[in-house]
Amino acid sequence: MSTISLKSKQKYGTLLAGNEAYLPSYESIATVIVGSGGQSSVSFTSIPTTYTHLQIRGIVRKAFSSGTTALKANFNSDTGMNYTNHQLYGNGSSAGADGNATGTYSNMPFFAIATQQSDTAYGAFVVDILDYRNSNKYKTIRSFAGYETNSVGFINLASSLWLSTSAITSITLATYASGNIDQYSKFALYGLRSA
Amino acid sequence: MATTYTAIAEVTLGSAAANIEFTSIPQTFTDLVLKISARNASTGGVGIRCQLRFNGAANDNNLSFRRLYGDGSSTGSDTGSTGHVAWMPDGSATANGFSNIEVYIPNYAGSTNKSFSADGVMENNATAAYMGLFADLWSDTSAITSIKIFAENGQNLVQHSSATLYGIKNS
Repeated sequence: MSTISLKSKQKYGTLLAGNEAYLPSYESIATVIVGSGGQSSVSFTSIPTTYTHLQIRGIVRKAFSSGTTALKANFNSDTGMNYTNHQLYGNGSSAGADGNATGTYSNMPFFAIATQQSDTAYGAFVVDILDYRNSNKYKTIRSFAGYETNSVGFINLASSLWLSTSAITSITLATYASGNIDQYSKFALYGLRSA
Repeated sequence: MATTYTAIAEVTLGSAAANIEFTSIPQTFTDLVLKISARNASTGGVGIRCQLRFNGAANDNNLSFRRLYGDGSSTGSDTGSTGHVAWMPDGSATANGFSNIEVYIPNYAGSTNKSFSADGVMENNATAAYMGLFADLWSDTSAITSIKIFAENGQNLVQHSSATLYGIKNS
């Protein structure tokens, strides 16, 4: 549809003519929902470099015999010794903290759900990556997550540093424990713009 | 569709400076979200406290916090009388590392005392690094019109330190 400016009388081919495109500050980039049979990893590739920050929100579950496991992430397919990790956690009766230098992945939220404990409980998590394309900064990742099965649970604040100044263009998420991430696990990647 | 999440402003330091400050904050939102990626120029520790002050205050009067934290090997919980919101790495931490802190300030334009929360981390390629969850209070009923971000020791934030301020609308 064309339009004509009331002020200049200029004719435009679109109703948006003369106006800046609206770019939301918080925008969905991609979402992965794990299908039947599960999958071993989830990847976001070709991440646009048009945002300031990234956020991943999701729910995740894994058929795991007992105890906990966690998500781990690699950026830009880097599996070298280029990651550091720290965490603060609690399990309902005690709290702890630990840290490790120089690892091969970014530590992400703990989430494991033992199948026999609850078939319906998923862990929930939010991961924030600030300045993901800034070439002057190593990338600091902050993750906040927890799960509850009405019998066991875990809550954890985790941090990680990817020792690289490269822009993050891809993220691969997998689990420490072998086997697939369960069906219906969901990973949603968002981009945040600055002003 | 209502726009509920709006970037208000971003500040990136082109050179070292004592603080990052957002001024003339619009009073048209419901809540504020502040994302802080900062580093301090001092040396001698691993991290230094990141703190907030509001509306041009020159001191920490009427500010208090309660925190749960970890330092890479142990945990703790305590209180204090500043606007402490996590830590930023200092010059003794791994180079090129910056904080990752989010502060949520609900009802910032209201006429009640201002409660706010934060969760933040700083990283270091060693066992020691700081992270925590924070509940803060500014015992002041004034609407928040400016926010200053600075390091506890008053020393400069390094070049490339940045902060982004977002407004949240409930309608």
